[in-house]
Amino acid sequence: MLDRIYPYVVRIAAVLFAVMFLIPIVWMLALSLTPERGSLFSGGFNLSLDNYMTVLNRAPIFGWMGNSLMVSLITTALVLLLASMAAYSFSRIRFPGSKVLFVLFLSAMMIPGEATLIPLYLLMRDVGLLGTRTSLILPAIAGPMGIFILKQFFDGLPKDLEEAARMDGAGFFKIWYRIFLPLSRPALAALGIFTFIGAWNDYVWPLISISDKAYMTITLGLPMFQSSYNQEYALPMTANALAAIPVLIVFLIFQKQIIKGIAFTGGKEM
Amino acid sequence: MASKTLSEGGSTGARARAPRSSLRRQGWITGVMMVLPYTIFFLLFSLIPILYGFGVSFYDWSLLGDKTFVGLENYGNLMQDEEFRANLLHTVLFTVVSVPLITGFGLLLAVLVNGIRKGQAFLRISFFMPYVLSVSVISSIWVIFLQPYTGLFNQILRGIGLIDSEIFWLSDSTLAWVSIIMATVWWTIGFVFVLFLAGLQDIPESFYEAAGLEGASRWQTFRYITFPSLSRVTVLVVVLQTIASFKIFGQSKLITGGGPAGATKTVVFSIYENGFQTFQMGYASAIAFVLMLVILIISLLQTLLLRRFGE
Repeated sequence: MLDRIYPYVVRIAAVLFAVMFLIPIVWMLALSLTPERGSLFSGGFNLSLDNYMTVLNRAPIFGWMGNSLMVSLITTALVLLLASMAAYSFSRIRFPGSKVLFVLFLSAMMIPGEATLIPLYLLMRDVGLLGTRTSLILPAIAGPMGIFILKQFFDGLPKDLEEAARMDGAGFFKIWYRIFLPLSRPALAALGIFTFIGAWNDYVWPLISISDKAYMTITLGLPMFQSSYNQEYALPMTANALAAIPVLIVFLIFQKQIIKGIAFTGGKEM
Repeated sequence: MASKTLSEGGSTGARARAPRSSLRRQGWITGVMMVLPYTIFFLLFSLIPILYGFGVSFYDWSLLGDKTFVGLENYGNLMQDEEFRANLLHTVLFTVVSVPLITGFGLLLAVLVNGIRKGQAFLRISFFMPYVLSVSVISSIWVIFLQPYTGLFNQILRGIGLIDSEIFWLSDSTLAWVSIIMATVWWTIGFVFVLFLAGLQDIPESFYEAAGLEGASRWQTFRYITFPSLSRVTVLVVVLQTIASFKIFGQSKLITGGGPAGATKTVVFSIYENGFQTFQMGYASAIAFVLMLVILIISLLQTLLLRRFGE
């Protein structure tokens, strides 16, 4: 008996949970499309984009998203470049001290970013970078996780490929970008996704570094805009929707790769 | 140099080795050059800040740069600081509640979804979607979601008959934590779910076939095959979640503002307030180092645990 209904129980439970998870997002979209005084449940569904117009007029949402995009893209590109170079070196070229250096980087993975907030603030202020978008990018590149993930991946690549290339006279550098980079696309994609999401969502450090409205990321600008609305929810919710929709669209397009990427990084993180 | 002279005056054997050893030397110069760019960033933005911060923690250091060496005084004051102790306690309680919750619920969702072929993509998307949103977006959604009278959450609870009067989620210290935990579970469980799902899909079908032949019940199969096969993933999830929970700040800053009456302030909140609101850089650095110490200990425990469960 239990065996027969089990598959149905599983299905019903899963769908119920999925609906529960979707409710806040659907509600966000619904509220943002409902004109000011109206209520979603009374007044029928008369949808409008008025809230979107109002929010876009009152807050530089696109500017903030542009800042977020710029910071996240540059961070991601630099992490991929620097980490893949270093990881390749650690995986294939042994130079004196390379092991020690790798272990040093590895142990730095245990250091939480929150521990460097104060010194970063003082140092950035001393060199005049505090409050700039550059100040958001630089520390994000110093994280060693990428090296670790990519070295693991490179270690698993067969050696004969590069032997052949070396016979043809290719140097290490050439082997790195001609053979290793193309072969490690899934690993690079995973790391890229991870880095991008992390940079896009970073909150504490931008909160401390950035004070000029023009340089804020969306993660920082959004709460600032919303804090001026107290008993009114349509506009703050619309701002949420504006910030969320591009991310959700990108997610829906690449969901397979993103989810695979997360599983991949998680699996390799050990 | 040594390899060069060897190849010049050497036999055929040495001559054959010559290109190799020059390649090796050329190799390790390339090796160093390829590690160098990252190393510079690491030094400037990771190692030096850590050492600098450690130094700052021994000073009474104001924002303007007036500093007096006070030795371990900041750490001593920390032990006596009621507010820090309260925030540390909040953080520990949050961790103790949220980690098992997120891990257990994430595993449950993964097991459910793993058994479903048709529509699996829809389920995966639903559970993972909140994870891609930023802390600002999810916090604001939940604040509005939880509002009494106007928020949807109370309306739903009332609709299914769970409550009959309005609940003021963010005005009571316990309920405020419940709210933060609900929002955090909703936001981050997708990550845990995906890790578990990947782990489940790595378990060879033959394990289950063997269990089926033995006539194992569903629960026995889970208890003796599924769960042990997931031990590595579970350790990873628990450790990552514990570390993330210890660093909680965004949700508490943005959902409750640390309130009511400071009840939802956390350790990182202490760093933020002491460092950037009252500008006691030395004191805030000391807090940061206590946090780092805790996280180091958790990470070391992970290494030990993984070694035990590893193979």
